[in-house]
Amino acid sequence: MGEVNSPAIEIKNLTVHYGKTPVLWEINCSIPRGILLGILGPNGAGKSTLLKTLLGQLKPIGGETLFFGEKLREKKKKIAYVPQRSSVDWDFPINVENVVLMGRYQKLGMLKWPKKADRQAVHAVLDRVGMLPFARRQISQLSGGQQQRVFIARALLQEADIYLMDEPFAGVDIATEKALIALFAELKKEGKTLCIVHHDLMTVRSYFDWILLLNSCLIDFGPVEEVFHEENLKRAYGSSAYLFTETKKLAQARSTGDE
Amino acid sequence: MLEFFTDPVLRAPTLGTMLMCFGAGLIGCLAFLQKRSLVGEALSHAAYPGVVLSILVSSLLFPFSEKGAALSILIGALLTSSLGLIVIHQMEKRLKISSDAALCFVLSLFFGVGVLFASRLQIIQPLWFQQIQLFLFGQAATMVDGHIILYGALALFVVAAILFLFRYLEILYFDRGFAKALGMRVGPIDLLTYFLLVVAVIVGMRSVGVVLMSAMLIAPPAAARQWTNRFGPFLALSSFFGLLSGFLGNLLSIYVPRWVGEPHLSLATGPMIVLVASSLCVASLLFSTQRGYCTRMARIAAFRLETASENLLKALYKKREGKKSWWLLKWLEWKGLVENSALTDLGVQEAEKLIRLHRLWEVYLVHMGQGVERVHASAEEMEHILTPEIEQELQALLDYPTVDPHEQPIPGGAR
Repeated sequence: MGEVNSPAIEIKNLTVHYGKTPVLWEINCSIPRGILLGILGPNGAGKSTLLKTLLGQLKPIGGETLFFGEKLREKKKKIAYVPQRSSVDWDFPINVENVVLMGRYQKLGMLKWPKKADRQAVHAVLDRVGMLPFARRQISQLSGGQQQRVFIARALLQEADIYLMDEPFAGVDIATEKALIALFAELKKEGKTLCIVHHDLMTVRSYFDWILLLNSCLIDFGPVEEVFHEENLKRAYGSSAYLFTETKKLAQARSTGDE
Repeated sequence: MLEFFTDPVLRAPTLGTMLMCFGAGLIGCLAFLQKRSLVGEALSHAAYPGVVLSILVSSLLFPFSEKGAALSILIGALLTSSLGLIVIHQMEKRLKISSDAALCFVLSLFFGVGVLFASRLQIIQPLWFQQIQLFLFGQAATMVDGHIILYGALALFVVAAILFLFRYLEILYFDRGFAKALGMRVGPIDLLTYFLLVVAVIVGMRSVGVVLMSAMLIAPPAAARQWTNRFGPFLALSSFFGLLSGFLGNLLSIYVPRWVGEPHLSLATGPMIVLVASSLCVASLLFSTQRGYCTRMARIAAFRLETASENLLKALYKKREGKKSWWLLKWLEWKGLVENSALTDLGVQEAEKLIRLHRLWEVYLVHMGQGVERVHASAEEMEHILTPEIEQELQALLDYPTVDPHEQPIPGGAR
């Protein structure tokens, strides 16, 4: 078992382009197991792109990613993804229970009908995020925080070891934010690895124990106390970084013929 | 009514259109959920030049084969309709044209080309020209048993495909990102659903016609969406509405002329089907149990009646003077709260409950820091709203108060 000691996610020389424009540039890092990692960076830094590339939705032009020392294909079932809330059709005719049930399909297979045990598993995770009373509720009737809890419940049902979440705290109420943080701490204690795209710099210290600072290039990566300091933030968010972003935009416009 | 399924002349149009509408109602759901219902309209118009061109070609190649012509019509329609779909996609993706503009462009361009060729066909093949005119507005009445088999097979194909794809579609249309993360092959599924849409449109042209076909893709799903909030029942109900429109359309096109006393007047089946489907849609929009407009209006009226009668109840309890509405009194009598202009025991209980809720709410507002003189108006409204559960919580929170902020007793408030 060579995988016992291998890190949860190992990213080697990962480079992603949109057209000819680099969005992620030679990312190298090795994310250990059982940490609560915050992925930080300004708008357009490639945070969501990083998650989507890890999930295999975007093809990198170079580099590779290993999960527990193996390729994505082998470990796909061990990875749960929580997309941005805005990427979902909230008018869709579906209730809370059936949304969460989607987390079970990898295990269940697409053609099998869910059994009682599957429903019970759904209710268990809904209870864990405090949404059990809403199981029959139409999804559009929920508040932003409640919708986010349903998404997290779906990810929990996947019984994954790695959780990739795209801004789970965006647009949620304080009660939900606190509940989620407590839940994430529990998951971490169970040995899960959580990678969370985050926006609010004020809460970084209290929420995460590791940080990945991104602005197309990897600015820095490591435990919060070592990485989260003024100089690094300036490199990621400051005016010199701004120039880099602008140039990147221009390059994109030129290569697609817009300018 | 049974003759619609047994009579050799009636059975082909009836069963044929029912199967067609069933498939359209089912596949229309997918376009509806993607908020791209207009695609059906564009595709049916894009199929028209295919019909005309295939007739032109086959009349030159096999001048006397009618079966060959029927088959070539299907193939021709499939080809130009698919081409229309590709053009729409490319315009949206590469030329960054908004979706409605691309749809309208393809609709009018393809249809225009079709009409152009048809005008040529009119001169060189007048007999065939009449045949293709059928496809503009449809003609169900001349369908034969062969159509039932064809439409039945296609409907079966659509149902089988949807059943097979059910879970995929549910995840894909709700949350594309998650579907991709699960490793779902999104591209092929999209392609298959578009192919199904094209098939449904082509099948519908013969009976409902190019111009009206899109209604059969839109009306049943729009109606079904009003009644359910779940994916499976939504699909089932929409296809049922399609089936029902197909049947009633046939029925009415025969019966309506009889009812008006002109049995020889024949009404076109296609437009009748569309009318039925649209009526189902409008009725659902007005009367559905949750979102229906009339249902909501009725609920508002019921709430107003409740408020007015409760206010009257309070007035009677406090023995206030003043004009009392006669019919509201009747209403309270009917509910057993009033007898001979005096409250019954039940009436007294109800009135005390209202006053309790009113004063409890005042105590709560003062507890929350509102001024004593300002709480009455809000309580006047809330006494009609508060539920027993909220009352329980208020009582517990305020520790079962016995007087309100104006030093008046709260009836029945003690533990």
